[in-house]
Amino acid sequence: MVFKSIKWRLQIWYGLILVAVLAGFGITAYQLERNRIFRRVDENLHQRFAVLSGALHRERPPGRERPFRDNGPLGENPDDRPPLHDFDTEPFSLPAPVAGLFDTNLPGNFYFVLYARDGREIAGVGQRPPALVVAKPLSSLKKEGRIALVPEPPGPKPPPIWTLDGFRESFNETPGGEVIIVGCSVAPELHELELAALNLAAIGAGILLVGLAGGWWFVGRALRPIGAISTTAARISAGDLSQRIETAEAGSELGQLAGILNSTFARLETAFAQQKQFAADAAHELRTPVTVMLTQTQTALSRERDAAGYRQVVEACQRAAQRMRRLIGSLLELTRFDAGQEVLKRMKFDLAGTVAEGMESVRMLAAERQVKMVAETKPVEITGDPERLAQVILNLLTNAIQFNQPGGEVRLKLEVSGGLAVLHVVDTGRGIAAEDLPHVFERFYRAEKSRTGAGNSGLGLAICRAIVEAHGGSITAASVPGDGATFVVRLPI
Amino acid sequence: MRILIVEDEPDLLASLAQALREEGYAVDTADNGDDGLFNAEGTDYDAIVLDVMLPGMDGWELLRRLRQTKKTPVLMLTARDQTRDRVKGLDTGADDYVVKPFDLDEVFARLRAIIRRTTNQTTNRIEIGNVAVDTGARNVFLNGQLVELTAREYSLVEFLARHRGVVVTRTQLYEHLFDENESSLSNLLDVHVSNVRKKLGAEFIVTRRGHGYCIG
Repeated sequence: MVFKSIKWRLQIWYGLILVAVLAGFGITAYQLERNRIFRRVDENLHQRFAVLSGALHRERPPGRERPFRDNGPLGENPDDRPPLHDFDTEPFSLPAPVAGLFDTNLPGNFYFVLYARDGREIAGVGQRPPALVVAKPLSSLKKEGRIALVPEPPGPKPPPIWTLDGFRESFNETPGGEVIIVGCSVAPELHELELAALNLAAIGAGILLVGLAGGWWFVGRALRPIGAISTTAARISAGDLSQRIETAEAGSELGQLAGILNSTFARLETAFAQQKQFAADAAHELRTPVTVMLTQTQTALSRERDAAGYRQVVEACQRAAQRMRRLIGSLLELTRFDAGQEVLKRMKFDLAGTVAEGMESVRMLAAERQVKMVAETKPVEITGDPERLAQVILNLLTNAIQFNQPGGEVRLKLEVSGGLAVLHVVDTGRGIAAEDLPHVFERFYRAEKSRTGAGNSGLGLAICRAIVEAHGGSITAASVPGDGATFVVRLPI
Repeated sequence: MRILIVEDEPDLLASLAQALREEGYAVDTADNGDDGLFNAEGTDYDAIVLDVMLPGMDGWELLRRLRQTKKTPVLMLTARDQTRDRVKGLDTGADDYVVKPFDLDEVFARLRAIIRRTTNQTTNRIEIGNVAVDTGARNVFLNGQLVELTAREYSLVEFLARHRGVVVTRTQLYEHLFDENESSLSNLLDVHVSNVRKKLGAEFIVTRRGHGYCIG
């Protein structure tokens, strides 16, 4: 659970990287410090080596070349070489200045031991460690791995050097096979190094803690909008669509995400509200025909009727059922348009012909209502679904006649304007009130706020708009109340 | 009892009117708000059944204007059953409402209830001497025995019983027992009064000459 949290995962990765970086720095710093300290010690050791070697050099009996080789390759077999001194015959002693370098009172406690080829100690000065490396031929020491610690760089080789039990020692073998060990106690230096290591560790731990705490805070802060988003989304999924994500960081990626989600939620809420309204309206529209059927049948069944009485009831029920059928048909049609399932035909045809056909179908209705129809059309070839567009024209014409007054007029005009086919349907009826005008294409909106004849479901203009918009066109309404209404359909050619 | 129905759906209006007539009410009808208001202001109906959605003046407006002059009980027919619509109706002065689609029995019961309330009755039973009127079942009992009355005769008895002790004029009776299509047949009332006297006793309805009728 914890490791699935982004916050924890970020924190863990961040912590690991921080530890790696700190460890790298710490180890490097420690190495540098260690090198610095040992370089100082090593310089002292080398210096003493040099002095000692010089002293031994001076002790060289005449005729012997290079008695002390501190450089160059070692002989194949050291036992073959002549010894530096015949220590059996000549007792070894150091000159006073050299011996002074190994004074036990000097800081560092330098010491040296000289072993003969056979491992005997010939001379030794200073305070050496209790467990000194037993002098052995260099080759055997090499074999034991004691001096393999020191790599051998190419070129003139410094004497091998190592640290053992708190002592730094250097070692060399004379050409004669004697072994010189020079060393000193490095206990204070090691202590110093230990302190430095502790220091580095403490600083590293401090930085790590501060870094982790800062990282925790920063990650928490950066992820806070996600918390807000998920809380809001949870409330929305629980049904409260009015919730919005509140975020102060409009500029950040999460702020942008919150903005996008908010606008999605807003659209969702609107769509949901429309859907709810639509369902409520549909239920409302079905109430009236159901009421008719209920009252008709209940009245009829309350007592015996003659055949004509029953016939009346059945006819009324049929009218109610037809009204419901029309309503359901219209609702399904709109739902298909909403879902984008309505497939429109794409064919070239003359819109003027469709207009003429539409006028022909409403001629009877117009005559009945004493409404005159006047048309002024030019052939306009457009691409679209002729049946659907005929439905639009028929609907507009029927409305124009139904909402007209006896002796009124319906004028149609089809023209090409601005690359569009433009159809005007103008009536001379009561017109549409200004407050109703923006809503006439809404579902179930009726300017009259009542049923105006059973055929009017309140969906006709909504369907017209759906059809025209599916053709990439537009439909608008304009009206001067009391002076008729004008519907304009614009379709791309 | 004379009732006005204002409803624009013709099939609904026809069946409501027929059902109420068969229940013994005198029924007038109007299919738009303006005619409805004209009728409602011009006649003392016992109750008005009023649809909310009407062409022209809607039900709310009709009710608001009617309440400026008359207290006729009004039963609203509404297709919206949201609380705010009901509250609006009751606040505007409706006495009750029925939500579409409704059962006729419920409409009848609510009509009886609002008529009863306006005549200060608390139950469906009115007792006058040895005659009992059950306005719920629309039955009349004489000494506990059911008396067969025609719907019109029953309405006459009920109207007089609701106004017991008060002289009811012939004009009032005409207004409440007959709808606008029957008013001209003036001797019908005398025939009904005479029939009721035969069935419930000659003293049950007292004639106040020059004024009208009275019971109780």
